[in-house]
Amino acid sequence: MLAAMGMSSIEDLFEDIPAEVRMTEALPLPPPQSEEEILADARRLLGANVALGDRVSFLGAGLYRNYVPASVFQLVTRGEFLTAYTPYQPEVSQGMLQAMWEFQTLISELVGLPVANLSLYDGSTAAAEALTCSVRVHNRKATQKDTVYVSELTPPDRLSVMYNYCQGADITINLLRHHSDGTLDLDAVSAAVGSCGVYVEQPNPLGILDGGLSELKEILGENTALIVAVQPVSLGLVEAPGHYGADIVVGEGQPLGSPITGGGPIYGIFACSKAYLRLMPGRIVGRSIDVDGKVAYCLTLSTREQHIRRHRATSNICTNETLIALMGAMHMALLGPEGLHSLAVRNMTACLLAKQKLGEIGSIALPHSNNHHFNEFVIELPGSSQDCLAHLDTVGIVGGFDLSAWYPERKNWLLATFTDQTSAKQIELLVAHLAVWASAQGVSA
Amino acid sequence: MSNLFEHKGAKGQGYSQPAPILPESSISLPPSLARKNHARWPRLSEPEMVRHYTWLSKRNFGIDTGFYPLGSCTMKHNPRVNEVIAQLPGIADIHPHQPEHHIQGLLAIFHEMQYMLEVCSGMDQVTLQPVAGAQGEFTAVRCVQEYFRLRGESQRTKVIVPDSAHGTNPASAAVCGFEIVEIPSREDGRIDLDALRAVADETTAVMMITNPNTLGLFEPDIVEASAIVHDVGGQMYYDGANFNAILGITSPGLMGFDAVHFNLHKTFSQPHGGGGPGSGPIGVKSHLAEFLPGPLVKKRPPLGDESQMAIDDMWYGWYQPTRSIGKVQQWHGNAGAVIRCWAYYRRYGRGLRTMSEHAVLNANYLRHAIHKATKEAGVDSMVRDGAEAKVAKHEFTLSLQPAKESHGISAMDVAKGLLDKGYMAPTVYFPLVVPECMMVEPTETESKETLDTFATHFAEVLQVDAETLHAAPITTPVRRVDEVYAARNLCLRHPYDDE
Repeated sequence: MLAAMGMSSIEDLFEDIPAEVRMTEALPLPPPQSEEEILADARRLLGANVALGDRVSFLGAGLYRNYVPASVFQLVTRGEFLTAYTPYQPEVSQGMLQAMWEFQTLISELVGLPVANLSLYDGSTAAAEALTCSVRVHNRKATQKDTVYVSELTPPDRLSVMYNYCQGADITINLLRHHSDGTLDLDAVSAAVGSCGVYVEQPNPLGILDGGLSELKEILGENTALIVAVQPVSLGLVEAPGHYGADIVVGEGQPLGSPITGGGPIYGIFACSKAYLRLMPGRIVGRSIDVDGKVAYCLTLSTREQHIRRHRATSNICTNETLIALMGAMHMALLGPEGLHSLAVRNMTACLLAKQKLGEIGSIALPHSNNHHFNEFVIELPGSSQDCLAHLDTVGIVGGFDLSAWYPERKNWLLATFTDQTSAKQIELLVAHLAVWASAQGVSA
Repeated sequence: MSNLFEHKGAKGQGYSQPAPILPESSISLPPSLARKNHARWPRLSEPEMVRHYTWLSKRNFGIDTGFYPLGSCTMKHNPRVNEVIAQLPGIADIHPHQPEHHIQGLLAIFHEMQYMLEVCSGMDQVTLQPVAGAQGEFTAVRCVQEYFRLRGESQRTKVIVPDSAHGTNPASAAVCGFEIVEIPSREDGRIDLDALRAVADETTAVMMITNPNTLGLFEPDIVEASAIVHDVGGQMYYDGANFNAILGITSPGLMGFDAVHFNLHKTFSQPHGGGGPGSGPIGVKSHLAEFLPGPLVKKRPPLGDESQMAIDDMWYGWYQPTRSIGKVQQWHGNAGAVIRCWAYYRRYGRGLRTMSEHAVLNANYLRHAIHKATKEAGVDSMVRDGAEAKVAKHEFTLSLQPAKESHGISAMDVAKGLLDKGYMAPTVYFPLVVPECMMVEPTETESKETLDTFATHFAEVLQVDAETLHAAPITTPVRRVDEVYAARNLCLRHPYDDE
């Protein structure tokens, strides 16, 4: 090949790189490996991890180990999907374009809003982009300019992403108070009237389904975006936010179609009403026709995007989470409406049984037990959750999430999660070990 | 079966689920919470669903289908062992909130990837958290922003980008709140140092550059450009989209950059999945390291009981940078993508340089082969190089401006003609500085035979008359799609019968 180009050495191809910036030594890295050696090393290293399926796990807190049907994995690794990129040439990308148009419809129906994009990075970036979008849309009429309100229960890691995305536009994020039973203080919400957007979660980060959220739109009025983050599986039972006035719905799409994978790649849901369409972030597929009048799909409204609008784009996003969204679409297609309902029932009843059983342990308390919960709830322990989790770990139980990581004053709060993968036997095991640990706390105290 | 929503099967599901743990009647949601109507989702059996998505896949083109020379996107082969590895429960079934002693193997791989990217880029500290190139840009510019705030240099409100920059560069800087200053490139596509000197001043925060640039050319004046920006107190940002060209040969650190993002999915072959996922780690010099999003991974000798679980006698743990900007993704980034890219890197190890050499060799050879083939076919007057250069790096640009003027054939026409030949078309109309631009990137995983055949087919397309080419493609699942119609008659979801 070099000879054909009249060159004698591979070095000739790099003559344009000045000597002063050349690396003079070989990279200090190990030697190349064969496929077998790489796989063996991967098995050794990843095998050293504790996969949750090898334990009894009650860890959720935003990511949920739902069952993903086998056909999803089989189909998503078809090379035509897996190894394609952004469908810039629609004529040879109809498969992914149509699948994403269908995904948009599935999400739209799920959350009760007419428009959905084909994914953002995760739930936190979807939430952050929803806040900046609400300011773009409402700032002109807002009496509280460049201001949004966010539930004070929002996990700090998610809030941190919001701050990073909002600070460049000088957006002020105020926090919304909650009652001691974990529900939103609706009286305090009046402070948010006239702002650009209000962000709440349903279920909230403590697993509480808050019926009061259905009154928010009436309080806020037309000029403030109501942004609701959802656990999508819950929508098999719980009202779609679009049906109680939400303007933007976001969420971690992961429970539909994707393993938790250490927290990524997963996908963020973003749906909105038509008023937000032209100022929303992310890619959108539209149905069109080809020159023969045949139905055909293509990316549309691209003038919002960075490759066209550059620094005036509605978002800097380019590469997104299309393939994971495709897994979500496949899972939704298999579930159908009744299947989603069943899946939600399985998740909710697992949580319900756990609440009943744990409620029987005298030395622990369930501070928010008057509420309906989805997937998870807070257990108030007679000692620190850190100690409790360490104890449970010694008997092969991943007991949940230490809420002092989110709310430092809540040293004794444990967030325990129950999904469709939770069995009655696992709940019994948790109850038995928690009871033993809790009573030991009583003795030493 | 042309549309998922045309499946209206019997009630039921495409897969069977166990009975709930308690009867459904134990749930009593009040009207304020209970869903009234099901989502109008379709009902498919498993075979119907499998056929639907198999049919869709056959209407899609990936690297597995054929040559995919999409410039700027580095569409190299995706080894399947990487997919096998990413499905192992030690990554697929890991929760980011698990304690350190549960994830020593994962942290060891993260640490190895941080280190590998540090030595390849000449940076002092890498974070793997950003999940895409654009998010890496955003993250790095945020770190620089906080660096200047701490130094009391908040007057630095401007970010300089060349007019040939990827659109994400100005978009990411704008999300951080910076004003964008675009400078024109020279006639030959390189940075115009005079234009840079004219705008660089005490208001400059960052200059963002891709090198090799978006024309696939190495910027010979990069050290001088870095000096100009540093002399006014600004920072240099390296867009790593084109990192595939320089591994083991030069590094952003040697060129004088302060921060860099990597498109792991490009350089290290995470499958692009029809638009994502990606992974966009960033590396920074030491003065910016305290601002990085956390947590990062460090290692030390194990203490006490830790030695039982230690990996190769090392204990891996998280730590937070002291003045961290916080998080840009809620978890630890796209860990599953990082694992795949780790597997790709291990295939080369210290020989990563060969990867870049082959990528550059293939690009230059293809450029040569296209010129040769078009000359032999007598159509060489229709195409010229997008920029003058003796050698390109991992990609190159062509201009179809002559074809446009002489025959009325545009870059898009040629792209559509190539689709009919069974190829993915190269990137068209980017960078904007080349008229009727076609940007070609073959990557290191293509054979000489593939490149020769593509060159021949490219010349054949140029021999097709304009009218026929305007009508191309004719062999694809659909023919030219009317994008104006799509924008004017917005149909963004399935229209249900009652709508």
